[in-house]
Amino acid sequence: MTDPRIIKMAKVIVEYSLTLREKELFRIEGSYLAIPLMKEVYRAALAVGAHPYTKVAIPELTEIFYRYASDEQILFLSDIEKREAELLQARLFIYSDSNIKSLANIDSKKIARWRESQRQILSLLLTRKAQGELKSCLTLFPTQSFAQEAEMSLSEYEEFVFSACFLNSPDPIAEWQKLSAEQARLVSFLNKIHQIKVIGPSTDLTFSVAGRRWINSDGRANFPSGEIFTCPVEDSVFGFIHFSYPAIYLGREVQGITLQFQDGKVIRATAEKGQDLLDALLNLDAGARTLGEFAFGNNKNIQRFTKMILFDEKIGGTIHCALGAAYPETGGKNQSSFHWDMICDMHQGQVYADGKLIYENGKFLI
Amino acid sequence: MIDPRIEKMAKVLTRYSLELKKGDLFRIDGSYLTEPLIKAVFKEALLLGANPYTMVTIEGLQEIFYKNASEEQLKFVSPIDWLTCEKLDAQLTLWGDWNTKYLTNVDAKRVAMYFGARKDLFNRRLERISRHELRWCGTLFPTQANAQDAEMSLSEFEDFVFTAGFLDRPDPIAEWQNLSRQQATLIEELSKKRQFRIKASDTDLTFEVQGRKWINCDGHLNFPDGEIFTSPIEESVEGSIRYTYPAVYQGKEVEDVRLQFEAGRVIKASAAKGEDFLKAMLDTDAGARYVGEFSFGNNYGIQRFIKHTLFDEKIGGTIHIALGASLPEAGGKNKSAIHWDMVCDLRKGSEVYADGELIYRDGKFLI
Repeated sequence: MTDPRIIKMAKVIVEYSLTLREKELFRIEGSYLAIPLMKEVYRAALAVGAHPYTKVAIPELTEIFYRYASDEQILFLSDIEKREAELLQARLFIYSDSNIKSLANIDSKKIARWRESQRQILSLLLTRKAQGELKSCLTLFPTQSFAQEAEMSLSEYEEFVFSACFLNSPDPIAEWQKLSAEQARLVSFLNKIHQIKVIGPSTDLTFSVAGRRWINSDGRANFPSGEIFTCPVEDSVFGFIHFSYPAIYLGREVQGITLQFQDGKVIRATAEKGQDLLDALLNLDAGARTLGEFAFGNNKNIQRFTKMILFDEKIGGTIHCALGAAYPETGGKNQSSFHWDMICDMHQGQVYADGKLIYENGKFLI
Repeated sequence: MIDPRIEKMAKVLTRYSLELKKGDLFRIDGSYLTEPLIKAVFKEALLLGANPYTMVTIEGLQEIFYKNASEEQLKFVSPIDWLTCEKLDAQLTLWGDWNTKYLTNVDAKRVAMYFGARKDLFNRRLERISRHELRWCGTLFPTQANAQDAEMSLSEFEDFVFTAGFLDRPDPIAEWQNLSRQQATLIEELSKKRQFRIKASDTDLTFEVQGRKWINCDGHLNFPDGEIFTSPIEESVEGSIRYTYPAVYQGKEVEDVRLQFEAGRVIKASAAKGEDFLKAMLDTDAGARYVGEFSFGNNYGIQRFIKHTLFDEKIGGTIHIALGASLPEAGGKNKSAIHWDMVCDLRKGSEVYADGELIYRDGKFLI
């Protein structure tokens, strides 16, 4: 029998996250490990009258591709995929890896070259999404690989994921609507604020958000979600911040990061472990030393760090800052080829907005 | 460790059957159960310079579709399916099921509606195959469900499949080239004949093939293979046939099929089991009652009926007659959304006459 939480998850994704409609061409993407969820999403999509189809990946083929593909094969761009990117009206991508380290020994230049070759398709999808022609959602189906990374058993990890999605509630969609309304209230308050100050252990950071928009991430583009974010005015960031959780970049960890900012740029960066990687990433390009995002994690059902950013950045009672590319919808202007989220626990911290205490010990006071 | 026969099979499929070339857009279709062969074929395709990708099917998805889709959804044909049909240079279909009966209880009219809506797409695909614009091959990867239908264990069934593909031999490609030459010789003789008559128990069927071509099935479109077929002149089929083996289509089994033809059209059809399904399929469209193919099975390495057309239609000593779409390369003109092969054993008490001359008796050619 299908886990009833999977049936609920499919319903929330189709009816709430994607608000799928009749006749919409809808692609469901994931690995074969996500088949139980793909089937239920397919069923729910048929029920609303959409035209669903699936794209099932065999993750092991990616390794074979990188090992045996010539330059020409790596640069190949399929006409069919381009056309799909033009025609799709809704898209669900399900993280469902069989081994998140399977590409650890592949030449990263090859991977970068392939990504570059597929950029035309990615930017078409992003443009159509920004213009409201394409609805898309990113989610995760619990697998042994993710459970192992989170240091849990699969059944513990399933409970973690489904609870983060509010699927233990009798009416998960109502829960998400409630969270959305709460966050909308916070966003309308924060949109009037000019200056933010973050205080905490080894942390005293101030920046301006004047003219920037706060975004309500309420379980649509990401599922689960529970986060509000903006982008600081690029040259306004001053002070220092210590990140209590390890920062993970492409599967590699940097622990105990402290960053010091002046005029919006990182002028000093230290790590307890992984200093080399931190230094290398800060020198990646001109935008790599500038913040592209500041956010509050606001999902109270996520309380542990699992080394998967989809969940970690939403831990209730945390904030996170990202170095690198800004999300244009916030009004942020920083450009970079990377976007690296770093998370800080705020259970011993405070946040001030235009001098007023608005957040303390992981909770909003407004 | 991977079964070395799988690696051999991948080599024969990509090099001999599909003749993959540099730059070919190549799709591999199969269920997740066929994954070991998908991986091996994907690697061989990369080594030959093609651009392979996969279309992995999900167990149970078709059932969800047929049971839940609205009429509008059943009839929807995605523009992406059309584009794929036009763009592919090569395509490999890997059969291999979890459960060969999982569509048994699906409403046959809904299945027919789905296939009816895709008729143009189906015909266009056949056209591209016959013009050699699309190199297609269908094969089977042995699974428990197919072994069960064949009434064998999985390891016995693996031996059956790989042996039928000559994959137990040191140089399978050379074996296929040999069979291809033998069949070419037979075709030379058959091409001189105009009228055929099949006589067997409860069977007396005549048809004409003037102007039609005999095709040598030597492991390119199907793997394994070993058959020679043509498309009879549509209106020339007269008489009746009783099929000795169950007719299997879309996972449904119809037993003891008897068909009566008049001026090429099935005017009477009966079955001991599954008659409703048989009749629903015959009513799919106008072409579903006409013969699209007549064929001699010629792989004498296959001697058992296993309820899978890919193998059954090639059993040495059988014929099969398909209802529905003809394969245009034979010169056949019948169009339909279905193509249903039904196999008849001729190994006992049977004769085939060509222009009055006895050319085949008890499962063997006399020419």
